[in-house]
Amino acid sequence: MRIESLVERLSADLRPIRPRSILREAAVLFILGLVELAAFLAMGFMRPDMPVAMAAPSFWWKLASTGLIAVLGAGVAIISIDPVRSPRAGLRWMLACVAVIIASGWLIDAAHYGLSDLITRLDWAHGVQCVWKMVALSIPPAIAFTTLIRLGAPTDRAGTALAAGLASAAWGAFVFVFACPSDDPLYIAVWYTVGCGIVTAMSRAAMLKLSRW
Amino acid sequence: MVNPRAAATLEVDWGSMMASAQDGNADAYRRLLAELTPWLRQYYLRRLPAAATDDAVQDVLLAIHEKRHTYDRSRPFGPWLAAIARYKWIDRLRSRKREASEPLNENLGMPDHEDTVVAQSTFRRLLASLKPAQAEVIRLVKIEGYSIEEASKSSGQSVSLVKVNIHRGINRLTSAIRKAHDAD
Repeated sequence: MRIESLVERLSADLRPIRPRSILREAAVLFILGLVELAAFLAMGFMRPDMPVAMAAPSFWWKLASTGLIAVLGAGVAIISIDPVRSPRAGLRWMLACVAVIIASGWLIDAAHYGLSDLITRLDWAHGVQCVWKMVALSIPPAIAFTTLIRLGAPTDRAGTALAAGLASAAWGAFVFVFACPSDDPLYIAVWYTVGCGIVTAMSRAAMLKLSRW
Repeated sequence: MVNPRAAATLEVDWGSMMASAQDGNADAYRRLLAELTPWLRQYYLRRLPAAATDDAVQDVLLAIHEKRHTYDRSRPFGPWLAAIARYKWIDRLRSRKREASEPLNENLGMPDHEDTVVAQSTFRRLLASLKPAQAEVIRLVKIEGYSIEEASKSSGQSVSLVKVNIHRGINRLTSAIRKAHDAD
């Protein structure tokens, strides 16, 4: 097709469009997060000992950590959907946060438990179940991010896909915190890392493929 | 040489035309796409073989159409356009990398074709920044059209090493281009 006829064709069926709004997209994700959390709690998954758990520093550590990563990741992903914005600086901040989170978890762990009985504390049977629940809870945000990315125009697709994958993983983990019966920092560090790692890797691969434009 | 003030005025005009296009003004959109075409042609003539230019321009016009809602009318139009053009250029380089061997068009390097010569000299300069083993196999396979096996025999590298060197070389080229653009 000649360029002139392409220009004619594109302008002939032009329709008004609503310009993209970062605030609107953030609001949609926020509402989706609230709906998922409410549905999860309404289905009776909240841990029964919540008042006791809320007294433990490790409960707040995991809640704040997953929430922070989810918010940062969502912010970086949304911003980098714009063709002129890169996700790289945001990803560096996220990696720095993950390092601080792991270090602070280690401090909480060392202060409370010591280093004995590592294998018993890992609790494989529950750990694997936790991983699958986190993966399942990450699916709605992963679908939402994929939709936003496909609508947008990211020019660093690998970086945007990574940020969105991290955000989906942390989002799933954040919701799961309300059901997770363990407050042991070692258990959380290992199994949350496994769950988030699986979701991040799978989401990144899928979003990278689906975000081509 | 384009006068900087004229270029800035042009960019403001393009920005307001795109804003009108977002509101559904087909005339403004047609004028905008028609004015962007020579700019895009010039952009790709310096970066791609001449035969690939029109395809690349059409590709960007389609991308602009599909992604026009991502243009923020409160910001300058030039960086938005340049980001899309650069993305499509890198995407095209990656697609070429995925193809096992692709003889380049005969027009490349025609002595009387100024833009092609500019593109070729830019490419040669980029090749010089690679390791000699990488540059050699990229030249053999991607420019001269040899198969991987022929390049392996000619360069003395194993078949797998040829593949690895092409892959790494093109990654380095892509990253050099990216850095050069960021520096601009």
